[in-house]
Amino acid sequence: MKIFITILLKELISFFRSFGLVILVIYFFTAEVYVAANGMEIEAKNVAVGVVDKSAGGMSKKILSNLHSPEFQTPKFYKSQKELSDAIYNKNIMVGMIFDEQFEKDYYKKLNPTINILIDSTTASQSLMAIGYIQNILMKFNNLELPVALKMHKLFNQNADTGLFMGVSELLSVITLLTTILTAIAFVKEKESGTWDIMLLMPVNPKIIILAKSLSQIIIIMIGVVLSVGLILFQSLDVPINGNLLHFFILTFFYVATTAGIGLFIAAVSKNIMQISQLSIVIMMPIIFLSGAWTPIYAMHPLLQYLSALSPLSYYIEGCESIFFRGTSFVDLLPYFGGVLILGVILYWYGFRKIGKLF
Amino acid sequence: MLEVKDLAVSHKKKIAIKNLNFKVDDGKILGFIGADGAGKSSALNAIAGVIKFDGEIIYNDFIYKSPKEAENIKLNIGYMPQGIGLVLYKTLTIKEHLDFFADIRDIKINKEFLEYKNHLLSMAGLEKFLDRRAGDLSGGMMQKLSLVCTMLHRPKLLILDEPTTGVDPLSRIELWEILEQSAKEFNTISIISTAYMGEASKMDDILLFDEGEIIARGNSEQLINEIKPFVYEKTTTDKKHITISDSTYCLENLEIQHQKPTLESLFFVNALKKDRLLPKLQIAKSKESIDKNIVVMKATKITKKFGDFYANRNVDCELKSGEILGLLGANGAGKTTFIKMLLGLLPLDGGELELFDKKIKDSDDRNGLKSQIGYVSQHFALYDDMTVRENMMFFASIHKIDTKKSVQLIDSYSKELGFEKYLDEMPKSLPLGINQRFSLAVSILHEPKVLFLDEPTSGVDAIARAQFWELLKELKNNRGISILITTHYMSEAEFCDRVVLLKDGEKIADDKVENFYKKFPNAKSFEEIFLEYYK
Repeated sequence: MKIFITILLKELISFFRSFGLVILVIYFFTAEVYVAANGMEIEAKNVAVGVVDKSAGGMSKKILSNLHSPEFQTPKFYKSQKELSDAIYNKNIMVGMIFDEQFEKDYYKKLNPTINILIDSTTASQSLMAIGYIQNILMKFNNLELPVALKMHKLFNQNADTGLFMGVSELLSVITLLTTILTAIAFVKEKESGTWDIMLLMPVNPKIIILAKSLSQIIIIMIGVVLSVGLILFQSLDVPINGNLLHFFILTFFYVATTAGIGLFIAAVSKNIMQISQLSIVIMMPIIFLSGAWTPIYAMHPLLQYLSALSPLSYYIEGCESIFFRGTSFVDLLPYFGGVLILGVILYWYGFRKIGKLF
Repeated sequence: MLEVKDLAVSHKKKIAIKNLNFKVDDGKILGFIGADGAGKSSALNAIAGVIKFDGEIIYNDFIYKSPKEAENIKLNIGYMPQGIGLVLYKTLTIKEHLDFFADIRDIKINKEFLEYKNHLLSMAGLEKFLDRRAGDLSGGMMQKLSLVCTMLHRPKLLILDEPTTGVDPLSRIELWEILEQSAKEFNTISIISTAYMGEASKMDDILLFDEGEIIARGNSEQLINEIKPFVYEKTTTDKKHITISDSTYCLENLEIQHQKPTLESLFFVNALKKDRLLPKLQIAKSKESIDKNIVVMKATKITKKFGDFYANRNVDCELKSGEILGLLGANGAGKTTFIKMLLGLLPLDGGELELFDKKIKDSDDRNGLKSQIGYVSQHFALYDDMTVRENMMFFASIHKIDTKKSVQLIDSYSKELGFEKYLDEMPKSLPLGINQRFSLAVSILHEPKVLFLDEPTSGVDAIARAQFWELLKELKNNRGISILITTHYMSEAEFCDRVVLLKDGEKIADDKVENFYKKFPNAKSFEEIFLEYYK
């Protein structure tokens, strides 16, 4: 036990003495999360619209007056369809609307008037959003008398504020990334300098060394998580917490321990820091892809849905979203704990065998 | 002609070399001799125009004061950095290397060039291996190929940074033959640094480096004659002196027999002149009686393969208690691999191993033995971000030594091994010699019965090396510790009790030190003896 604590303290001391690493960790847990919450925009904002108006102009003006900020810029007018498509091609505008000569006549005669819309869908989600807005605007002019009225109730995130969601999920990604890299570095730095060989030759069970070293990195990450949740999520972003915060920290602890296992795995197969960075990308990308952080798991190919069971991040994201937004009770969180734990045990077992052993 | 005036180089705030002044004529070989960190590489890099420097360098009327100005004469410079095979590409063959270097140097391929190229190749003895990849060459051949590539554009100024370090003795002689021949034939100026004192006799002029300054200059004969009056046979005196191995150095006249000095002696005399007396290093005698006649380590037909390559092939080796066994060989001969297998850091691919009369089959067999083994790895691996004292406390604690005793141990070892005043500094900022002794202290904290030392003397200056060997002798005599030590300095064989010589992973010699001299009575040094085995 004394040895365990000695190694733990030694690791913490060397972490806090490496100035660059401390700054990096602080940056990731604060600025990075904040920027992700406020800087990434999926909604359509400030869209540039171009118009070719060959109609009499009364009706089209009415419609165009509905395109205003913050969603749209004031529409620009073009003389011909050719000019309009050139403008889209040159990225001057994103959406082009064409009112033909017949438009206004057809509208009053109720003869199915048409507006042609050209759209640059390079940024797919924003262009789809923009089309959605335009359709909503046109609905007003359709004079339809639908007997059905929609009444929406937005659950868990009442303002449908993407910032909140992005903030939380960025924090989870930061945790994953930093834990893997910090743990892998902690081991490979020793491998590179040769101290790892010396540690293996010490009359101490190597498992204790590995666990102590991992725990030290877990502690560093947990401190970062507490800071990030307190200062950034609650203070700056006003993220709601509907579940129990303690549950979140416990789940995070288990998740970080599992991810440290991934770091251990990477350290076991790499010889130097350079290889860590290459391997981390190769291993982290599928873990994040399959986790449902970017696309819900039910929207994936069936094969990938099975594979996502292997990504510890998938359990963690589900668990965290449940705690923050849904307020799920502890018993219902147990599957997520279980998933994270099983994967963790397997990874440590591999690490013990691969780098914690003499021949 | 090359002239260097008031050259100074500093890295950040640390001065690497200052006030360097010298002149070399065409066709001469100038040698830089000194320990790691003495400023040799900085001086060479400055002359090659690859780092920033102060002062000025004049090459045949052309003056340059910065790397940018040096661009204009780079056609005339051939520069080979430190490290074996550093300028080579492992996956290219020798022929492809020559084509590549000819291309990037934009050399016209005509009859004259082809003749010159073939001449170089035959000098280096590489003409038969044109299709072999650089990665498959031995260290000596790699260095010869590097030299050929460096000379391909007929440089008039050759700058070679430790081209022979870690290379086997035979290849070293061949490298020097190429250098001497090219100096004569092509009238080139060669500036060569080396860690081997024995190579000094081949140089026309020598600059002796010590801590960023030149402490002596001349050819090897002049240098040795200068210090003759200060070197005596081993004795004790009240006057200021340094006694190490079998010699005593004193600036004042002692009424005893003089001894023939070596180039190493220069460093001791210089230390005396600068009033840097060496602290007396010693190891307290242990109370336990020493049990001799146990076989500490016995390796039978040990083999290690990496792919198709044998790092060790059927090596037999035995270490008896109270013995210093030297494992000698060039870089890549398999010394480190062998030690790593003994320690269990690498699995055996064949053969059997016994430690303290116990057969080692897997890691479980080693558990009880860990506390009897001490290990110092190559480059003295210790934690860079902790001070010397913290490092020692950490390892003491890992060895389950209680805090009170650890403090005592640190206190006594730091005094005995002379690193007391460095206790609260970071290992990186210390001289290599101090790091070496402090690593040794860490490895004996737990009072092991056997010590495995991997290249502990590589790159360390002559004084620290001599002191280190003295310490090992103390450890052997006062503690009864058996020692297995690897080194690529053939001359260090004389400090061992028994020597095993490795070449390309195979054992080519294994005998008691005195027997080697009996076998080769005409040999002047171990270099010459081992050369016979390499042939």
